[in-house]
Amino acid sequence: MLTTLTTDMVLAVAEGEEPSGVDLLLPATSELIAGIIAFAIVFFVVWKFAGPAINLTLEKRQAAIKGQIEAAETEKAEAAALLDDYKTQLAGARGDAARIIDEAKQAGENVRNDIIAKANAEAEGIIGKARTEADTEKARALQDARSDMANLSLDLAEKVVRNSIDRDAQRSLVEAYLADLDRMSN
Amino acid sequence: MDVILAASECDPVAEIICVPANVNELFELPFIGGVNRTMLLMGLAALIAVALLWFGLRRRPLVPTKFEAAIEGIVLYIRDEVALGIIGPKDGIRFFPYLLALFMFILIGNLFEIAPAINFPITSRIGLPAFLALLTWVIFVFMGFKRQGAAYVGHILWPPGVPTGLKPLVGIIEFVSTFLVRPFSLAVRLFANLVAGHVMLTLLLVSGYVFVSSVGDIGAKALVGVGWFALGLGIYVFELLVAVLQAYIFTLLSAVYIQTSVHPEH
Repeated sequence: MLTTLTTDMVLAVAEGEEPSGVDLLLPATSELIAGIIAFAIVFFVVWKFAGPAINLTLEKRQAAIKGQIEAAETEKAEAAALLDDYKTQLAGARGDAARIIDEAKQAGENVRNDIIAKANAEAEGIIGKARTEADTEKARALQDARSDMANLSLDLAEKVVRNSIDRDAQRSLVEAYLADLDRMSN
Repeated sequence: MDVILAASECDPVAEIICVPANVNELFELPFIGGVNRTMLLMGLAALIAVALLWFGLRRRPLVPTKFEAAIEGIVLYIRDEVALGIIGPKDGIRFFPYLLALFMFILIGNLFEIAPAINFPITSRIGLPAFLALLTWVIFVFMGFKRQGAAYVGHILWPPGVPTGLKPLVGIIEFVSTFLVRPFSLAVRLFANLVAGHVMLTLLLVSGYVFVSSVGDIGAKALVGVGWFALGLGIYVFELLVAVLQAYIFTLLSAVYIQTSVHPEH
């Protein structure tokens, strides 16, 4: 097989249709030029278009990602600030609530004390007044009773010893008795 | 079609493998008005590379589609990993357009090997790899002189950090390696890989076709053609790997060569 191939090649070269000598090693000029032009086109497009395009794409993507990260960070900071704000407000509200409750308690306590004090004062007033009235009533009753007692005693004595006893003498006797009674009650 | 016709004319009973009258028929295709198929395909490769970049990058989207993400992935890989990663952040960006153009053009050119209805890698013609390798050579030699002046060649011929007795020997090896072997190996690596792939695929698929189509003459032996055809399809997957890998290696080595001229200390 190899023989056939070699023979064919040698024959073909000998026929003179094919390049011979150093031409066998050199590339065909037309193809070389076509290759140079084709590569130049590719290089030109890469140089003028592909290189800048990929850079712009990456820059655009970078900017977008950077922007998104920055936006996310801003939002995060805002959220954190908001959270702090809410926490402060909540703490303030709790303090307020505690203060209001304390105040209310204090106020309640004050009202209660006031009421109690007022009630005590009123009660004392009432008791004092009642005592005074009772004393007055008692004194008057005693006075009345003494007077009535004297009259009744006289009337009684008069009925018992009608006309037999000197009225004035009797009366002084009764009064002496009542004076004794007074002394005893006091 | 010429290739297949040429092979069909041979007698599959007498010859195990049908060879075309001239092996160059596999690579040299007819001219149409001064433009042969290789030249046409070079234009097409440039067009496809440009179109991919254009449609992949023109929208500059915040959220890319799958296609845009794929193109961006390639572009950014060449930019960040190859240009900036190897040459360095400051100088890398200057060479990024060259490296990306190199990768896209070679990749499409290589993929033509397995592209249906094309089946011919333009990088299997020595002209293109030689031109691109020469371009890389010019760039890295120019950058070497621009950055280091005469010390560029001086450091290669009289390498620092090498025992003095060995310096002449290492210097000559380095000189040959840098100025002669580098462009040559760069071009031949790409060229030879794609030539080998193309020959292999052509042999397997054409033989498969010839054997199967000759079933009337050779009977059960035609089944051999099915095997070759299947093997050819297997090689297709392998060649896909080769196409991508060789484009990547060419770009990567170009970046490495430029880096050695720009930053001699490494």
